Amino acid sequence: MYRFFVTSPIAKLLWGILASLVGIIVLLLVLVSEDTRMAAQTVNWEGRSIENGATLFANNCTRCHGPNGQGLPGLGPALNSFYFFMEKGRLQDIGWVGSLEDYVSLTIAAGRPSKTNSPWAEVMPTWGSQFGGPLRGDQVEDLTAYVLNWREFALAQTAEEDPFQPFPDVNNAVEFQNAAFLLLSEEEQAIAREEFKARNIRSPQELWTSEVCSACHNINERQVDVRGQSGPNMADLYERAGSRVEGLTAEEYVYESIVDPTAFVVASYEAAGQMPENFAEKLSEDEIRGLVEWLLDPNREP
Amino acid sequence: MGVQQDIREKGLLGAAAAAADNVFTRITAGIDAGEFRRMLQGDPPGRPNPRLKPHSEAFLLHIKPTYYHESVTRFNHTFRLGLLSTYLFIVETITGILLMIWYAPSPERAYTDMILLLTNIPFGQFLRDLHRLGAEAMVAIVTLHMVRAYLTGSYKPPRQFTWFTGVLLLVMTLFLSFSGYLLPWDQLAFWAVTIGTSMAEAVPPAVVGETVNLLARGAPDIGANGLLRFYLLHVLFLPLLLILFFFVHYYKVVHFGISLPADEEEVGEDTANRVPADKRVYYLPDVLTDEMSFMTVITTLLILITVFFFQAPLEHIANPQSTPLHTVAPWYFYWLQGMLKIADKFIAGVLLPGVLLALLMAIPYLDYNPSRRGKDRKVAIVAGIVAGTVMVILSWMGTPEYAVQGAPSVEIVQELMPEEGSGISREIGYTHLPLGIWRTDEEYDAHDHEFNELLHEFQATVDYYRRQDPDFNAPVGQLTITQDQPGLKKLHWEIFWYDAQGAEGSYKTSFWLHEDSIYWEQYGWKQSFLGYVSDGWKSLSGAFAGE
Ligand code: HEC
Ligand code: HEC
Ligand code: HEM
Ligand code: HEM
Repeated sequence: MYRFFVTSPIAKLLWGILASLVGIIVLLLVLVSEDTRMAAQTVNWEGRSIENGATLFANNCTRCHGPNGQGLPGLGPALNSFYFFMEKGRLQDIGWVGSLEDYVSLTIAAGRPSKTNSPWAEVMPTWGSQFGGPLRGDQVEDLTAYVLNWREFALAQTAEEDPFQPFPDVNNAVEFQNAAFLLLSEEEQAIAREEFKARNIRSPQELWTSEVCSACHNINERQVDVRGQSGPNMADLYERAGSRVEGLTAEEYVYESIVDPTAFVVASYEAAGQMPENFAEKLSEDEIRGLVEWLLDPNREP
Repeated sequence: MGVQQDIREKGLLGAAAAAADNVFTRITAGIDAGEFRRMLQGDPPGRPNPRLKPHSEAFLLHIKPTYYHESVTRFNHTFRLGLLSTYLFIVETITGILLMIWYAPSPERAYTDMILLLTNIPFGQFLRDLHRLGAEAMVAIVTLHMVRAYLTGSYKPPRQFTWFTGVLLLVMTLFLSFSGYLLPWDQLAFWAVTIGTSMAEAVPPAVVGETVNLLARGAPDIGANGLLRFYLLHVLFLPLLLILFFFVHYYKVVHFGISLPADEEEVGEDTANRVPADKRVYYLPDVLTDEMSFMTVITTLLILITVFFFQAPLEHIANPQSTPLHTVAPWYFYWLQGMLKIADKFIAGVLLPGVLLALLMAIPYLDYNPSRRGKDRKVAIVAGIVAGTVMVILSWMGTPEYAVQGAPSVEIVQELMPEEGSGISREIGYTHLPLGIWRTDEEYDAHDHEFNELLHEFQATVDYYRRQDPDFNAPVGQLTITQDQPGLKKLHWEIFWYDAQGAEGSYKTSFWLHEDSIYWEQYGWKQSFLGYVSDGWKSLSGAFAGE
């Protein structure tokens, strides 16, 4: 019996064939399972990355961004907030065209080393080791995965739960950065913006710097041919404005230049689109009128 | 002779048959179809034996003896352990070369490459698991092969040098697994190898130790240079060296013939090469079918174990700044780790292993007893058993269970949710961890069998350390589970106790667990596999049904 089943050459051959068959069948099973297995492994390692990020966040970031990423007043902004994840929220306001993931990982890696006009007690430190920080590239990735994993929670927040803290680095008013505003429909948002503009009239002097007119225009040099960086000189505007366009008073002309800069383009400034065309949306009617009056006032206060 | 003339003489069919037979004979390196049929039917060879031709014709067969003594072909004489060692080395070489395709030996990439291998390469995990399993099996099998050669006294004259080269092969095998161990570049790898190489540093005088260490690591600490060196050792230098010494080893084996069972020859004689005609078992076809079927069965066994029971571990990425609480060497180095717990690095890590190795190599030259029979070798056998027992005890001392050094509070958490590896908390998984505050001094029914078990384990561990440590009185453990993020739970562990003076102590630490994370044990039933198969099957049949 033993000889027949184990030691005879035929038995050996049969065992070999049987074993190969079993082996091949098992390998086929593996083949069938591979897609699912790889998918499960992919989310597994994403999950582990988030776990690592959680530990790193607890050890390095909660000091300023709070234990749940909801920010601490004066120390660090909320990351687990509606505004941060909102499609037309943070990224749009600062004019970032890349993905939120890139924004977060680059911010973590590089930090915000500059402290000019910062309302925060300390700057956001540099973390990436490539910029001299303490964390390796994979750790920055883990942190990014962790921060982004707040998305679902952050977007489900009601206006009351929103850990809102204003960001002073954007042109948007404080009112437009919190969930209470962002949760409104688009029309409601437009109305809220108009109401806000009507309530908050900024002085021409403030607008001149905050809307960066000053970057392109000179206002204090009286000489005729002293050009601004890229726009006409404004110091003697009151002398010329009335005669620029036939049929328009000085006021009407300046008003039009701000609201619709392409309507008339000053000679030698013909290159297209040099003067921003969105001031009509950004400024309220009263503010534009204030600017016009101020610009045309020969004795204006700087 | 032209084809036409051939056809004229034998007819069309006859000529074709002759041509086919010719081709067949070339492929089999000298065996024609008729002889092949007779081999399969089990007919005895003619005289002169036409089945010897392939041994002079084919490279791979010229290494093999043409016939064996009937007694040494029995399974329970060699247990085919030498063959198995060779086979496993071939498996390692094949899987290793395939793994090289996706692996880059740099700290920036090695670990991510491992993850890519697991997540994006079909059969990637299979390859890795098989390579790791093969490596562990090879260490075990080579050791057992040595034990077999020791017990049958096969190291005695004239086979002293065979044994000597065998020991060299063992050393290379161990170094191969040690160098391979670093390659995944995870915490497990990094710290095991850091400790391993730091033993070299302990060699006195300091200049020598430091130089050896510097040569191995390429820098004072393991980093990019060390990884590259270990990689080159692992995939190039050591395999080539092993192949070279294998041929020396095997040349000696064939040259002297495999030793006969001791009581089949007179004491002091060696008749392995004088095989009477009626005892000859020819390699072709008998031993060949035997070895082929044996290796096929072993291959299937390896596949089965890899697919169902074995998973190569991969822990957190190597972090030179943080030493995990228990760094563990692979099991075949537990004995070394055990020695390190009782003696200093130089003695336990260099001197004793060195002496051991020298002794091992010198055995054939020290043992003057000419007899290979068990009953004449009582001293040798007892010595062997003692040495084996000592190794087992040392290995046990090398496990983290023995002489635990950490504070009780740290050890408790480490046991339930270790920094590295899985532990019961991660094993039961996300869904079995209900939110809430759970204390060891209260009884709960969490309506979840597995979580109840965890709580029970928590209580038992706290209680165990209370009994062990006089500085750990009235301890209370508290586990707080919160939902930290979508799909992410935070497990906050707190332990409070009083020391012998009555002062309060506390320990707090947190770990996170994600819904999708899979933690696994290296050895054990791979639960998920059948689920993957059925999912894969469903989507396949869906695809065929045209969905
Ligand atoms: C010393 C306090 C401090 C620490 C620690 C800190 N941050 Fe910041 N972080 C800040 C401040 C302040 C800002 C806002 C900087 C600014 O806008 O100028 C900021 C901004 C950010 C932003 C961009 C937010 C936005 O909407 O623009 C991200 C993302 C961020 N931090 C992530 C992290 C992570 C991750 C960590 C931990 C590794 C961390 N921070 C640690 C203070 C800190
Ligand atoms: C990016 C540069 C830029 C910025 C910022 C800018 N301007 Fe201009 N502006 C120009 C250029 C270029 C012209 C000339 C072309 C034209 O007439 O459209 C111009 C023309 C004008 C004129 C007409 C001048 C003339 O001599 O006829 C007025 C008035 C004016 N800008 C007001 C403003 C005010 C107010 C702001 C801020 C709210 C502002 N600009 C911001 C580039 C700029
Ligand atoms: C990679 C490691 C090794 C390989 C591939 C290998 C291979 C082989 C092979 C194929 C044989 C033929 C007989 C048999 O199958 O048992 C053999 C015999 C032998 N090996 Fe090894 N071996 C290795 C390691 C060792 C070690 C570690 C020792 C002992 C220290 C050793 C000692 C011997 C001896 C003494 C024989 C002769 C046995 C006899 O004649 O009965 N070998 N080896
Ligand atoms: C020529 C033969 C070999 C080549 C080309 C090779 C190649 C490799 C490569 C590329 C890796 C990294 C991939 C990984 O970690 O999964 C690796 C890992 C490893 N190798 Fe080899 N190897 C060979 C032989 C061996 C042998 C003979 C042994 C042991 C006796 C061995 C033991 C290991 C171990 C323990 C690992 C770590 C496994 C893991 O963690 O996945 N290798 N090898």
